[in-house]
Amino acid sequence: MTSAAVQGVKRLFQKLKRPLLESLLAIIIGLIIGAILMAIFGYDPIAAYSALLIGSLGSFDGICESLANATPLMLTGLTFAIGVKSGYFNVGAEGQAYLGAIGAIMIGSTIHLPYGVHLAIATLFAMLMGALWSLPVSALKAWRGVHEVVSTIMLNWIALFFVRYLIEYHFYEPGRAERAMPVLPTARYQVLGASLTTVIFVALAFMLFAYFLLWRTTLGYELRLTGSNPEAARYIGINSTRVIFLNFFLGGLAAGLAGATQVLGRPPAWTIYKTLGNVMNLGFDGIGAALIGRNHPIGIIFASILLGVLSYGAKFMMYLGVDPDLARAINGAIIIALSLPELYRIIRRLIVGRGAE
Amino acid sequence: MSIVKNALKIFGGKSDEKEFRGFRKMRGPPPKKGEILVRAENVVKGFPGIWEHLILDHINFDVRAGEVHALLGENGAGKTVLANILSGFYVITSGQIYVRGKPVKFSSPRDALEHGIAMVHQEFTLVPTLTVAENIALGLKEYSSLSFPLKEVERRLAELSERYGLKVDPKARVEDLSAGERQRAEIMKVLYWEPDVLILDEPTSMLTPHEVDELFKVLRGMAAENKGVVFITHRIEEVMKVADRVTVLRLGKFMGTKPIQETSKEELLRLMIGEVEPFRPVRKPVKSERPVLEVRDLHVIGREGVEAVRGVTFTIREGEIFGIAGVAGNGQRELVEALTGLRKVKSGKIIVMGKDVTNKSPRELAKLGVRHIPEDRRGVGVAEPMTFGENIMMRDYCSPPFSKNGIIDYDFVTRHAKELIKKFEILTPDIWDTEVRILSGGNIQRLILARELWVEPKLLIAFHPTYGLDMKALTHTHKLFMRLREKGSAILLVSEDLEEVMSLSDRIAVMFRGKFMGVVDASKATVEEIGMMMAGIKPKEVSA
Ligand SMILES: Nc1ncnc2c1ncn2[C@@H]1O[C@H](COP(=O)(O)OP(=O)(O)OP(=O)(O)O)[C@@H](O)[C@H]1O
Ligand SMILES: [Mg+2]
Repeated sequence: MTSAAVQGVKRLFQKLKRPLLESLLAIIIGLIIGAILMAIFGYDPIAAYSALLIGSLGSFDGICESLANATPLMLTGLTFAIGVKSGYFNVGAEGQAYLGAIGAIMIGSTIHLPYGVHLAIATLFAMLMGALWSLPVSALKAWRGVHEVVSTIMLNWIALFFVRYLIEYHFYEPGRAERAMPVLPTARYQVLGASLTTVIFVALAFMLFAYFLLWRTTLGYELRLTGSNPEAARYIGINSTRVIFLNFFLGGLAAGLAGATQVLGRPPAWTIYKTLGNVMNLGFDGIGAALIGRNHPIGIIFASILLGVLSYGAKFMMYLGVDPDLARAINGAIIIALSLPELYRIIRRLIVGRGAE
Repeated sequence: MSIVKNALKIFGGKSDEKEFRGFRKMRGPPPKKGEILVRAENVVKGFPGIWEHLILDHINFDVRAGEVHALLGENGAGKTVLANILSGFYVITSGQIYVRGKPVKFSSPRDALEHGIAMVHQEFTLVPTLTVAENIALGLKEYSSLSFPLKEVERRLAELSERYGLKVDPKARVEDLSAGERQRAEIMKVLYWEPDVLILDEPTSMLTPHEVDELFKVLRGMAAENKGVVFITHRIEEVMKVADRVTVLRLGKFMGTKPIQETSKEELLRLMIGEVEPFRPVRKPVKSERPVLEVRDLHVIGREGVEAVRGVTFTIREGEIFGIAGVAGNGQRELVEALTGLRKVKSGKIIVMGKDVTNKSPRELAKLGVRHIPEDRRGVGVAEPMTFGENIMMRDYCSPPFSKNGIIDYDFVTRHAKELIKKFEILTPDIWDTEVRILSGGNIQRLILARELWVEPKLLIAFHPTYGLDMKALTHTHKLFMRLREKGSAILLVSEDLEEVMSLSDRIAVMFRGKFMGVVDASKATVEEIGMMMAGIKPKEVSA
């Protein structure tokens, strides 16, 4: 290695040291809080935690399952993160993921096409459906000044009932009306193990694409400049309407893909249920992933894996007899602890203002 | 931890008046003349991981009751950091601070305030859409109770106004105030707490000479009440005029403290930077007749829906510097905003290089070679949370060689940034690891100048371009303006610094209530004449 490279690595380490240490500390705090909760309710924390870890990471299947859980979360996390980077609070991933899922069904279970083509078209269509669902948000924001939190939450509800309606009346599986028609074998990602499929590579590629777009292209620069100082963006002459549409559209693509992963890339069902149980809350959990991952695509990948491990591992705590609600509470404590550094930064900026050290 | 404490204070505070009396009691008897109010001993401040050198390297500094103590130094010398330390915004790395002889350790600005030390910042902190009184009441809320004692605030403001001769209308909205009035409002905000020590960070940069004199009267008045005043500036004449003692910093090093009688301008200059020759622009007459900017009967609606620019017509030719003087709030801001594509024009025409650009976006104007140095450097001119590199490419990122096919060429930008850092002598620890938030005021101004002026613009629209620059950078900038002028750039210079406008411009227009009171030849104009026009009195002879 040349000395420049050594310097570069040192720099990178310097830059990452603090966030890594913070996150580590947060995990420990979260685990301790969880342990205290368990102790209060009379469970053995050590046993429970080892069940969690062994269950989610101790076997090939466990690892696959954890990664499968992580896959949609990184994408919905990305939706939120792109929003934050552009200065918007986009909580629309939830509804857009439903649309992505039903979009995947529309193409995947009704049309006959050769393997690769079918898969590709179904995936793209799902992403576009998610993005389509973002258009009203952008339009309302750009031309009517409607706050995105209001419009995305409204659209989340509309999406819920709309998709339920579509399943119930148009895409139900004959004989099993509680769910939509599973996608045809030509529209299924290859299974890697347990319920993990090659769709994870598509998700990772999209994360890298987002990273590239945000930090290497002029479009991404415009998003980030608008997010850091809208006044400066105006002064330079950046078209704010374009920034709004681009940001929500990209977010919609990611969320749509998240929905698709649960249909085209998630055995054994390969479909969604009328309850939307297997796509429900992906959008909101993604916000956690984004906060833990510091709203950075690469950080979000790792954060989602962590969340995947926790959520899958929680099952094994339940097998030990830990109450399911308590298991969720423990996970919640860990997630909150992990999100705190990022939240703290935002709040500190609000209270203390510029330049406080 | 201090955040939690502050938050608790916000929600659980006692009534202001009581608390405020408590302050006084805690602080002991009123200071006697000459008493050392605050003293910094061997203070060291560093930002490890960001700067390799110390920002303050064993600084000794004290403020006595009844004095005005000037703090001098180049951009980035550490003046603002020292002020922030004394007023509790920053924590020191090592050293000791004493307040009236007792060692103290401030954990927050409020802590310092309780010890009687207050600071008026370089950048304005008041909320523009609120009135002066509301702002101050808000400040109280921030520090203590949840009540909103507006009446009480207005009463006390009137009282303070009277006492120090600080003219501020408590009911005026901050955004309608001129720079000088804002400055006074900022001072009021901290005077409200009856501090023993008042620190002012570059309070005069944006004031007219008359306002500066007024401010000095106020400062002397405070000193006469046995308060200690710390006054940060770049202008040595001001130091000689108002200060009793002066301390000079140079890149974080203590260069000495002197009583004003025992020093001279020359010595102070030498302590600050070494050598600079004074700059007297020599100008050749404008050669070209080619108009660059033509403005015809321009009307622009301002913030409140009232017409702020009411029929302005002028032309700037190649190689001409056209100055606009006037008391702030007479339409200059709106005029500049309209010319730079930031505000819609109601009627009239703007023509750049023969092309009608009325209501065109800043981006399109930039393509024609229009560059703009904005009024509000931190709020508009840069994106503070972004890196130096990202800020230096802000104007040009979308055109080659900064980017090709939408992909940013970071290697080029890095090289470009390095070049500009050297050429414009910008003090920054790094290009891609530094948020510009941490740069000193003058260095942010240099960044903006570098970004806008690395190419020769066809038309430069500059709003007090030398705001906050030290003597050396100021001279450099003036030279650069003259060089651009010789190469054929047209420059529109808006500034409240009359001296600057008069020494740089070829012609000067004075704006009053949205119109030009007159356009005068700068070489023939006198300060009195321009001053009259600024006050709205027509001159005898006008040449448009
Ligand atoms: N929070 C911070 N983190 C890192 N460096 C900082 C921070 N605040 C200030 N600095 C650095 O400390 C140095 C001194 O800054 P300071 O603002 O005190 O300069 P100054 O003397 O006020 O200059 P100016 O005349 O330009 O306002 C600068 O190089 C600045 O970049
Ligand atoms: Mg400063």
